Amino acid sequence: MPSPLLADTPGETLLLLGNEAIVRGALEGGVGFVSCYPGTPSSEVPDTFFRLSREGDYIFEYSTNEKVALEVGAGAALAGVPTLVTMKHVGVNVAADPLLTLSYITAPGGLVLLSADDPGCHSSQNEQDNRHYARLAGLPCFEPATAQECKDMARDALHLAHRTGQPVLLRTTTRVNHVRGPVKLGNLPAEKARKPFVRNLQQYVPIPAHSRVQHRQLLDRMAAIRQEAERSRWNKVSGQGELGVIASGICRCYLSDALFEEGLTGQVKVLDLGFSYPMPDALLLEFVKDLKTVLVLEELDPLVEEHLRALLQRKGVSLEVLGKSETLPVWGEYSTDMVRQAIRQAQGRQARGPEHCAPEQGLAMRPPNLCAGCSHRASYFTVREVYGDEAFYSSDIGCYTLGLLPPLSAADFLLCMGASISTGSGFATASGKTTVAFIGDSTFFHSGITGLINAVYNRHNILLVILDNRTTAMTGHQPHPGVDHTVIGPNERPIEIEPLVRACGVEHVKSLSPLNHKATKKALEEMKALSGPRVLILRDPCVIHERRVNGKVKPQAATVAETTEGCLDVLGSLACPAFLKEGDAVRVDEEMCSGCMYCLQLDKSFKAKKRGA
Amino acid sequence: MQRTRIFFTGVGGQGTLTATKLVSLTALDEGLPVTSGEIHGMAQRGGVVESTVLIGYLSPKITHGEADVLLGFELLETLRALCYLKPGGRLVGNSESLPPLSVATGKAAYPSLESVEAKAKAVASTVLFLPCRTLAQQAGAAQSANTVLLGAACAIKALPFGMEALERSVRKYLKPALAEANLKALELGAKAALR
Repeated sequence: MPSPLLADTPGETLLLLGNEAIVRGALEGGVGFVSCYPGTPSSEVPDTFFRLSREGDYIFEYSTNEKVALEVGAGAALAGVPTLVTMKHVGVNVAADPLLTLSYITAPGGLVLLSADDPGCHSSQNEQDNRHYARLAGLPCFEPATAQECKDMARDALHLAHRTGQPVLLRTTTRVNHVRGPVKLGNLPAEKARKPFVRNLQQYVPIPAHSRVQHRQLLDRMAAIRQEAERSRWNKVSGQGELGVIASGICRCYLSDALFEEGLTGQVKVLDLGFSYPMPDALLLEFVKDLKTVLVLEELDPLVEEHLRALLQRKGVSLEVLGKSETLPVWGEYSTDMVRQAIRQAQGRQARGPEHCAPEQGLAMRPPNLCAGCSHRASYFTVREVYGDEAFYSSDIGCYTLGLLPPLSAADFLLCMGASISTGSGFATASGKTTVAFIGDSTFFHSGITGLINAVYNRHNILLVILDNRTTAMTGHQPHPGVDHTVIGPNERPIEIEPLVRACGVEHVKSLSPLNHKATKKALEEMKALSGPRVLILRDPCVIHERRVNGKVKPQAATVAETTEGCLDVLGSLACPAFLKEGDAVRVDEEMCSGCMYCLQLDKSFKAKKRGA
Repeated sequence: MQRTRIFFTGVGGQGTLTATKLVSLTALDEGLPVTSGEIHGMAQRGGVVESTVLIGYLSPKITHGEADVLLGFELLETLRALCYLKPGGRLVGNSESLPPLSVATGKAAYPSLESVEAKAKAVASTVLFLPCRTLAQQAGAAQSANTVLLGAACAIKALPFGMEALERSVRKYLKPALAEANLKALELGAKAALR
């Protein structure tokens, strides 16, 4: 049965994840090309496009990184095809270079960039506010708040982009990407909207003489789009009263629920700002007329608030503006309760939160851990055995970052995708300390390779350990240039990492499975005796990926014959989640054990047994 | 329509998100205005999974003291999430545990069922703990522990729809091969709840 996301069944209501609704909206908006680099909370958008790519009438690719994704997408849009490019918020930093010039030269087919922000850092290294990019680059910006709006705004964003040529930012946050709600479907387009490329040097080749003109054209286009924001259905006023609230993004949901709970629905004047950039100044001025106080609700930076304050000052309007405060911080997420308190404060009433028992203190934490049988655990175990605390560990972004905690303790610093090699290089050279950098296979292809070339070129003294688990595990097993298999079939031309590393000029390179303890230890000892840039590729497929995609489960599991000192040492130093301590005895949970048999190589109290025996 | 907030908590791999989706789908099929949310960046790696189903609200988020119902798929996580429950709200939880690494390696303690029950009773009007995994095994599939819990919650009317609606959803949305075991799981959960 074809996916309901691809069916032309207008009027039907489906329960969709915000990210699935974006897929449907893009299809209704006529998308013909999709490129991405995965990253939570954006990943279900490209993963859904990928899963449906055989049935759907569009071209899809996982690109090697976000810059490449945007450049490929820009090419498609220059060729006249409506295009969606997706990434998480920090990915937009990687793509910022092409982005800030694409807005000058335009994307005639229409290009929408999905930026999935993460206030609260649920799964990210920072909580930057990517609405800044709308201002920095000159991008109209939509901010959906519900699953239905994810669908409708993705469609409208593509239409606007196709009509004006201006790239459009679809900015979501984790709560919106991962909301699930009813979505009423619209029509799929009857015809493909295409705009064949017409050569125009002044427009598409931004040499300085052209850029100076293009910048002014960009400002003119944004001024025209501002008029659309003024009368957009996504910027609407409701309710009445002396208190006004301007809300954007998910705050609009919190506001609606908060007003209901305070019994104030309809008694506060509300401006829903869904099409949030360029700001509709005339609408804002009209909205604040006759208000005594206006409260601005926006997560992270006070962009709407500061714009409003500047606008009021310019127009000589005197009005109390409330925004960022102790109740409404510039960090983290908002909530219905925070909005309730802010409204109460704005009305001069006492804040009163819901009663609840105190959060239980001192409970055993449950930090995410490397899976049972994960080859990264074996890699870290041996690296620590050889280098211990003597080395400094430069980490990178992926599942393997989870090795930061004891007993593996395999991360001393971390920046962003691909940084482990270059940051480690700088650290090693400046400090003269032994430095080991870790990077995953997907991250190596993403942007690690440039750091490696630099390490060779500048003769940095660093050992790079490439943790090659044959997939992009952290974000949900997306393929990358090196994989053998994907969920929809084999990769015909996998790119091997070792020859690539050699071609970068690295002299000392070795590849082996980290699950072979003795050989890995020997290889690490050899590498330790050498200097300059060295690379050890520790390669073994992700256990979850093997099970899901290739259906492989190892026939044997580990078991403990007798709990000895050695066995307890392994329990403490390996921290495999399949181990259990019951009283004084150590046991291996057969269901969790992947059968990697690494523990058997560390102590003879561990034995192999047939599953179910 | 009764506005309701339901908070789900569990550990990656327990089917917390499947249960959340099943409740949302059932609510939608029953014509209820449903919104659901999930935070699951690290769920795969044994981390905590928290999710929500809200009827009549737009926000997918629940903060401390806002949940009318707390569904706890793992004992320790139920205790951790107890502060989300509104005083006088209802709690349905799994009495069985999945020890975190620090407990499994003997470095931290795990709370007893009795202590969690006592703390829950100080907050909730109804507290119901049942051995979901054991009942699921009796039903014929250990993976149906999440359905056992839903059966129990539905039986004490903590869900916004009746048992028939939930049974329809099990048939309609879960893997056909596991439908019978899951129906049995609902029944065993309901029985345990009403005993």
